[in-house]
Amino acid sequence: MIWLTWRQHRKQAFFTLLGFAALAALMVPIGLSMRHSFADLGLADCARQLADTNVAAATRDTCDAGFRRFTNRYGSLNLVAVLLITLPVLVGLFWGAPLVAREVEHGTHRFVWTQGVGRTRWALVKFGMVGAGVVVLAVGYGLGISWWVDPLTQAAHEGRLGMIVFDLQGIVPIGYTLFAVALGIFAGTVWKRMLPAMAITLAGFIGVRAAVEVLARPHYQPARTQTFPIEGDGPPEMSRGDWILTQGVRNPDGTMIAEDTRIQCPPGGKGPDGRACGAELGIEPGAYNWQLYQPADRFWLFQGIETGIFVALALLLLYLAVRRVRRIA
Amino acid sequence: MDMVLEADRLGKRYGSTWALRDCSLHLPAGRIAALVGPNGAGKSTLLHLAVGLLKPDAGTVRVFGRSPYGDTDGLADIGFVAQDTPLYRDFTAAELVIAGGKLNRRWDAPLARTRLAQLGIPPDRPVGKLSGGQRAQVALALALAKQPRLLLLDEPVASLDPLARREFLQSLMGSVADSGTTVLLSSHLLADLERVCDYLIVLNAAQVQLAGTVDDLVAGHRQLIGPRHDGGPIGGVAAVVRASHTDRQSTLLVRTDGPVTDPAWTVRDVGLEDVVLAHLAGGDAQTSHSEWGVPA
Repeated sequence: MIWLTWRQHRKQAFFTLLGFAALAALMVPIGLSMRHSFADLGLADCARQLADTNVAAATRDTCDAGFRRFTNRYGSLNLVAVLLITLPVLVGLFWGAPLVAREVEHGTHRFVWTQGVGRTRWALVKFGMVGAGVVVLAVGYGLGISWWVDPLTQAAHEGRLGMIVFDLQGIVPIGYTLFAVALGIFAGTVWKRMLPAMAITLAGFIGVRAAVEVLARPHYQPARTQTFPIEGDGPPEMSRGDWILTQGVRNPDGTMIAEDTRIQCPPGGKGPDGRACGAELGIEPGAYNWQLYQPADRFWLFQGIETGIFVALALLLLYLAVRRVRRIA
Repeated sequence: MDMVLEADRLGKRYGSTWALRDCSLHLPAGRIAALVGPNGAGKSTLLHLAVGLLKPDAGTVRVFGRSPYGDTDGLADIGFVAQDTPLYRDFTAAELVIAGGKLNRRWDAPLARTRLAQLGIPPDRPVGKLSGGQRAQVALALALAKQPRLLLLDEPVASLDPLARREFLQSLMGSVADSGTTVLLSSHLLADLERVCDYLIVLNAAQVQLAGTVDDLVAGHRQLIGPRHDGGPIGGVAAVVRASHTDRQSTLLVRTDGPVTDPAWTVRDVGLEDVVLAHLAGGDAQTSHSEWGVPA
């Protein structure tokens, strides 16, 4: 069975590795040059110092200038990162969906399932081997992207909890890839043709990913609230790495005056019309900025939870797929 | 007598349509049996039930006394060649022989290699690039290498040209003659199998119409020609299978249960094909008239 699986998929495995190697050959030099610039501009030190709230204003200015230069040069690479987010679903489309659907489409399931091994064992070995190969690939992908995207995230003052950044690195790619492959396999056992199975995989993957990302992820842990005054000395408070879910300005009695914004005025600052800062919004004295956020140090916890969700979904789909395989003739 | 395949009121349903219904039959050991019926009669369904690909929705099917669905151990005794002889098209014949060895505990690789060598099949070319006849031979060699006690072949010759058909059937007969393997092969054309089979199962519209040894079937049917018949009983006739009438004369194909002695009837022997066609002609196109909304 192992021999058969290898013989059937060796060409596909070769091309997958080739594609992966080509991607690495493209990304690694970019990553290296990015890291060189990052070090040359002294930004690693900056990131450390800025994490401290009472950093000297001069340091802050130099560092911000450095970050801006870095972002100007490499910021467009964030788009490349967005493209990389599609890799797990591609693996699901080309490794998961055809696994059963192709056999049924070509009728070869009637050949292989009537030999001496039985189809349950066939399914377990096949799913197991493809799953294992995919996990290795996903680990490489997750580690590689973590390394590659790190300077970009730091320069953008975003945490790793941000929407797309979070999805690219750490261990979640393993969960996504396994899920995509399992979804593909399952779709293949239901629709039994490659093209519909692939289409369903694509639609299902996007749907589930979006639902988890938007609806579930912000609630993995109770969000924390933070408030700070509108009038304050010095530059605005910057959260480095926290994931801000909602923010706004509230009156002292707690009513929300302006959503999705924040106000920061120097002490005693007046608007152009001579009124107090923010008076045109109707804020009363003592109003404050308010935000709901997930702190940056929950990154690995969130990674673990999200990976767990997708691995569990993948296992469920594989279980259903094995059950369905027993009923295909 | 040893029964290889026994079906008892076996049924399989796809949605609300019964592909096979109330199918009861017994296939004795050592027979070369033809499973004949028009397209869509349920032949493939019956074979898939027998090899355990399908789970029965009604009744039971037993092969060597075991229920085949989900019975991996039982698969070792059954060789199966599915319709259109599906094989991994990018594998070479030699690789398929290796694959069979990995997938089966009992596997006679030398037998398969010897067969394929005798047939002049190239070992190193992907089977997708072989001719249909050669591919069917590869599939047969793989099924025989399992050394099965029952060999099931689903329309093995349907896609072959007449010459390849004859070669395929000849090589099949040559290889099962000594081993005592029971063979059940299906076709929608009796002519394909008439020369090789000694047992016949006729399937039509999801039901078994006729089953028995070829000799019994031929001996048990007669054609009667005589004056126009009104449906009354005739001595020695168990049932009228098919009747056609002109103004003055009737031609009947009947199942006999004794000698027909009535001098009004001319009695003729019939061939196997006449028997099969007579049984197939009854009651198949009843429903479609109402579905099309036209008078029957």
